[in-house]
Amino acid sequence: MDVTMAMFAAKRLLMALATVLVVAVLAFLLVHAMPGSPGAVSLGAGASQEAIDDVNQRLGWNDPLALQFFRWLGEAVQGNFGTSLIDGRSVSADLASRLPVTASLAAGATVLSAILGIGLGVTAAVRGGLLDRIIGGFVGLLVALPAFWIGIIFVYLFAVQSSVFPATGYVPFEVSPQDWALSLALPVITLAVGGAAFIARQTRASMLEALQQEHIRTLRATATPTWKILYVHALRYASLPIVAGIALQFIGLFGGSVIAEQLFAMPGLGQAVQSSVSTHDAPAVQGVVVIATVVVVAVNLLLELATKFLDPKLRAS
Amino acid sequence: MIPSITPTATPRKTALAKFSGHRLLTSPGGLAGAVWLAALVAASLTAPWWLPYKTEDQDFTAVLSGPSAAHWLGADELGRDLLSRIFASAAGTLGTSLITVIVGVGLGTILAMTAAASDRAEGIISRVTEIMMSLPGTVIILAVIGAVGTNIPLIMAILGILISAGIYRVMLGQAKSLQSQLYVDAAKVDGVGTLGISVRHVLPGLMNTVVVQSALIFAVGMLIQAGLAFIGFGPPIPQPSWGGMIQSASQHVYDAPWLMVPSGAVLALTVLSANAIGNALGKSPNAAASHLPSAAIRRKRAADAAAAAAAAPAVENAPAAGQLSVRGLSVGVDGGTPLVTDVTFDVAPGTVLGLVGESGCGKTMTAVSLLGLLPSGVSVTGGQILWNGKNLASATEKDLEGIRGRDIALISQEPMRALDPMFTVGYQLTAAIRRLRKAGKAEARAAALSLLEKVGIVDAQRILKSYPHQISGGMAQRVAIALALSGKPRLLVADEPTTALDVTVQAEILSLLRSLVKDTGMSVVMVTHDLGVVADICDNVAVMYAGQVVEGGRTASILDNPRHPYTLALLAADPHANTAHDMPERLATIKGQVPQPKDWPAGCRFAARCQFAGSACAVPVPLLPSGSEDGEVRCVKADELAVEGLGWLATEVPTHRVLEIVEKDMA
Repeated sequence: MDVTMAMFAAKRLLMALATVLVVAVLAFLLVHAMPGSPGAVSLGAGASQEAIDDVNQRLGWNDPLALQFFRWLGEAVQGNFGTSLIDGRSVSADLASRLPVTASLAAGATVLSAILGIGLGVTAAVRGGLLDRIIGGFVGLLVALPAFWIGIIFVYLFAVQSSVFPATGYVPFEVSPQDWALSLALPVITLAVGGAAFIARQTRASMLEALQQEHIRTLRATATPTWKILYVHALRYASLPIVAGIALQFIGLFGGSVIAEQLFAMPGLGQAVQSSVSTHDAPAVQGVVVIATVVVVAVNLLLELATKFLDPKLRAS
Repeated sequence: MIPSITPTATPRKTALAKFSGHRLLTSPGGLAGAVWLAALVAASLTAPWWLPYKTEDQDFTAVLSGPSAAHWLGADELGRDLLSRIFASAAGTLGTSLITVIVGVGLGTILAMTAAASDRAEGIISRVTEIMMSLPGTVIILAVIGAVGTNIPLIMAILGILISAGIYRVMLGQAKSLQSQLYVDAAKVDGVGTLGISVRHVLPGLMNTVVVQSALIFAVGMLIQAGLAFIGFGPPIPQPSWGGMIQSASQHVYDAPWLMVPSGAVLALTVLSANAIGNALGKSPNAAASHLPSAAIRRKRAADAAAAAAAAPAVENAPAAGQLSVRGLSVGVDGGTPLVTDVTFDVAPGTVLGLVGESGCGKTMTAVSLLGLLPSGVSVTGGQILWNGKNLASATEKDLEGIRGRDIALISQEPMRALDPMFTVGYQLTAAIRRLRKAGKAEARAAALSLLEKVGIVDAQRILKSYPHQISGGMAQRVAIALALSGKPRLLVADEPTTALDVTVQAEILSLLRSLVKDTGMSVVMVTHDLGVVADICDNVAVMYAGQVVEGGRTASILDNPRHPYTLALLAADPHANTAHDMPERLATIKGQVPQPKDWPAGCRFAARCQFAGSACAVPVPLLPSGSEDGEVRCVKADELAVEGLGWLATEVPTHRVLEIVEKDMA
């Protein structure tokens, strides 16, 4: 860690903050473009116009947009995203209970897809021939199958035909670590399938590129054993784009968990987005969009720093 | 008759020519994908005329039924015909996915071209797209749906905007390289505006990538659209959609699992088709130029080597220990073009052989074949490489591993690329020493230090701790030489070791090599195109042209008394070979280029560029003793030239140019 690295980290951190701010503005504007005022949404269909106006007045809905935004931002940086228009509960508390669900899903799926993807990709690149073509065809098929379809098939196979895993629901880790793992298994595998296929492709391409580098010939010319060339030198060279691919995958999986949560009835952020969007629950939508962005940006930042750390040119200049 | 070489102007490629449509037709997957998509669109557009049922027709006798004569793909929970619903909704799904493609790829391409045209624009656009790429896209899209409702075309357009950031990333590098082409600079000088350059010169070059990305994004669009319909944000209820159908099927996975199959299969097939088209048109990463062939290729090579060893006669009159004898060596692309044919030379212990010739003569292929390090896709097709009683041309990988580094070592042209950028010099050097000298850790460290000092590095301690990118090219080449010496080899193969270096550094590296030969008694095969290097360090020379040795012998006799027209031409064209007083007013040139291996003629391969070529040159020419010492030459006119004392003319007017002028005048 020296000046270059610190500068790099500072620049990235600034970019991350800018990203979150942009999304906050975007979310605010989107929510204001939603049909129906907060009063109308929260009081429901039968409410009188006076009651609606009264609620809107109380929420400051008629104030200038900029004022509303900064009022919201001031609360948001303190961790308060307001109350739901539908059930009056604190949005922050609701999201706090949902975040671990989605985080477990996305993290689990990322780890699993990285292990499977790197394994398949390296095997395809290193073994070549028929095995390469078989893996290529398999990966191509997995990329084409939608995650939700695969998920339903998993439910059919492992929960309906044989009840190895529970079909739906989520058990918090604090309640029972074993049930927690079992309840995550199917959704995580469902999400990981597509991710693994993506990472396998990235890994195969990066490994093949690494093996085309001239220093591989130098290693062979000095009688380096094949396993060492492949798994120490080539994989190390290929690791930069692979880790970048994994970071990209996490972003996709975090969003993609909406579908897995719906399919397996998991009380996560994705389900919150889906239901709050359906009910036009403005504070909830705003809160969940910002929280999702913060998580994704933070993890992305960490992974990117890790990537740069893998590169000696940036690490030790 | 002299085959005249007309200067081949690169044909102006049109945008259409660059879009390699033929690749789609020659790839079975791509072709099948295109056929499926076309059939699906045609079937969907004509659906009202041929579909057996309307999408809302309910057949209560067939609720949740499997395939039957009445309902080929079965019926859903309301007894609606699945076949009809799937095909009726196809056009809508494909059409709206096309919106994402047009917006995403279109915007991405425009952004990439804008960024390529100006550094300032690139700074801004890159920042913005970086932010876009680190957003949780699905969540944003859902928030948009909250604001605008399930307006599918609009949502797909916004999805396109989000995706354009990724497209921009893919295209930027290519757009920048196109923008920096010389003909673009020329167009700028001619006063063509930024827009004109982008549209006329950059866009055509991007066309293939645009098509590939379009196909891939089309697939992504379909998947996301289906996913949205699956979670309830699809077209309004009675209207069928693929994702919606899968969603309702998922409700019945317990009692009617069949329902999952038709809609899922059609969606997967369509996505697969779009991907197949994209992959067929795109450049798929392949193992073509790998320096470590895949396990499958290594197995095949081992089998070939075993077969060759079994078939080949025992090594007769084996050369003395430490002597390298290459006999009739041929190297070629697997199942195709030869790259090196019938090359023969000897290297005695303690001597230096120069392999000389222009680029593309097969020098490097000959050199790396000595260590069995040909890239995958290229292999030895004939002849012998005799070393210590073994024929390396048919040796197993295991035998070669015992020889590489310990007996025969390699240094290559670009020292920076020859060292692993991810590891320190110290790691690479000590690992090699521990392996090749069976040394312990501390011992290897000491040996590494003394090796670095031996190759003339003063602050060896610092260099050991450095990464390759932290040292200069000359320093890196010294490190590469130290690495090559770590196994105390008896033969060093040096592939243009000084070409990539500054002139002063070149001289230092050459004098280092010369003193190493003197001190260690090892022999060297030195690949070079520099006759100065040959004169400086080589005892013997083999001049190569188009995969053949055209002249060989002792350095002094060949430089003083060249016999082959190609050697004559090389010497006449070399400013260093002429001493100051006899420096000609203009240096000679050799018109044309080294022919591509596939264009090699049956006769003399140099004939097309030779000033002395005649009808006798059209038949294959053998390598014959030249008469001076143990020299050999491959030219039917060698004796004639020697007797006449002819030299290569510097001021030559190529015949075909005269002809062109005459033709122009007559026209």
